[in-house]
Amino acid sequence: MTETAAFSRTDALRIIAEVLHDQPMVLTLGGTVREMIAVTGRQPSHLYVLDSMGLPVPIGLGLALGLENDERFRRVTVVEGDGSLLMGFSVLSTIGLLKPSKLLVIVLDNGVYLATGGQPTAARTTDFAAVARACGFDAKDVDGPEALRAALAESLTHPGPLLLRVKVGTEAPSTAFFLEDPVVLAEDFRRWLKGPTDT
Amino acid sequence: MSAAADPRSQAIIDGVEQLHPEFVLELPSSTLKTILGHFIDRPGVRTFPIPREEEGVGILSGLSLAGRRAVMIIQDNGIGNLITALSTFPQAYHLPMLIITARRGGLGEYNSMIHNVSERAERLLDAANFRYFQLDHRSPIREWAPSVVRTYEYAQITHRPVFLLVNLMGG
Repeated sequence: MTETAAFSRTDALRIIAEVLHDQPMVLTLGGTVREMIAVTGRQPSHLYVLDSMGLPVPIGLGLALGLENDERFRRVTVVEGDGSLLMGFSVLSTIGLLKPSKLLVIVLDNGVYLATGGQPTAARTTDFAAVARACGFDAKDVDGPEALRAALAESLTHPGPLLLRVKVGTEAPSTAFFLEDPVVLAEDFRRWLKGPTDT
Repeated sequence: MSAAADPRSQAIIDGVEQLHPEFVLELPSSTLKTILGHFIDRPGVRTFPIPREEEGVGILSGLSLAGRRAVMIIQDNGIGNLITALSTFPQAYHLPMLIITARRGGLGEYNSMIHNVSERAERLLDAANFRYFQLDHRSPIREWAPSVVRTYEYAQITHRPVFLLVNLMGG
């Protein structure tokens, strides 16, 4: 792990959205949702978790289990933060148990609870990739934009669940509140999952 | 195994079987031993443990969004763990799900502190605005299995999480 931020969360989100543009994606709460919307606009393939700290990875795990045999999707991605992952840390053990083949967990690790003022998390002393491997699935640290782009491309053919821990900075760009009705968000995502022929 | 089950546990097993679940999420309880044993051993249903109730809420939410048939089986002393997760995600996003919840506390309870949560389960659920139905000594056993199916359907129709509180201890 490195203490030096390689690049900003927004830059990481831009690369993630570009490489995984046609795959279902769960986005963690706070600035991540707002920054992704600033980058891509609202996308029906993106499930925006507006609150529910600790829940994005379990939600993605359920999706990955449910879409295991759906040939339209190669990866079910969760973009998670270090603070939210730590709140639901037991899910790494459940992923190792169930081994959902399509699940990709991207941890954008800025080491702080950025949305609440930058208080430090325990990420500084936690090796997320090592924990994932100890739980029984593959993981690695990714440093910098080119390494992230390569790791994401590789993930599309990687067999089995995968965790990528990406060190990002603590920049907090000004973004508008996202106040859409959660019912609409869920229904848009569900319709996108079903595909045009089933809606 | 199921042939030796007590009538209440067997009725819940029968009801869940009628749902044709693809996934059963379970958090063990001694009162649920028979029911969970049935599904853990059953081929064709992916049954797996959840370490905390709120993690199960998240997984069940993902399965619901993917359109899969799933049920979560827990004990009522875990209701406190899942209130925030359930309120902020499936309740807010209108995701249907069935949570079968075994009751503790009351006459016959042998644990000295579990009643502190379990005997307030209904009030906790009411306060959080979660819908629930109940099966206990007031319910004829013939209604138990159909009630599992009807509660699952109720969740689908009303687009929200619904609990089925089941007393397997005789109360």
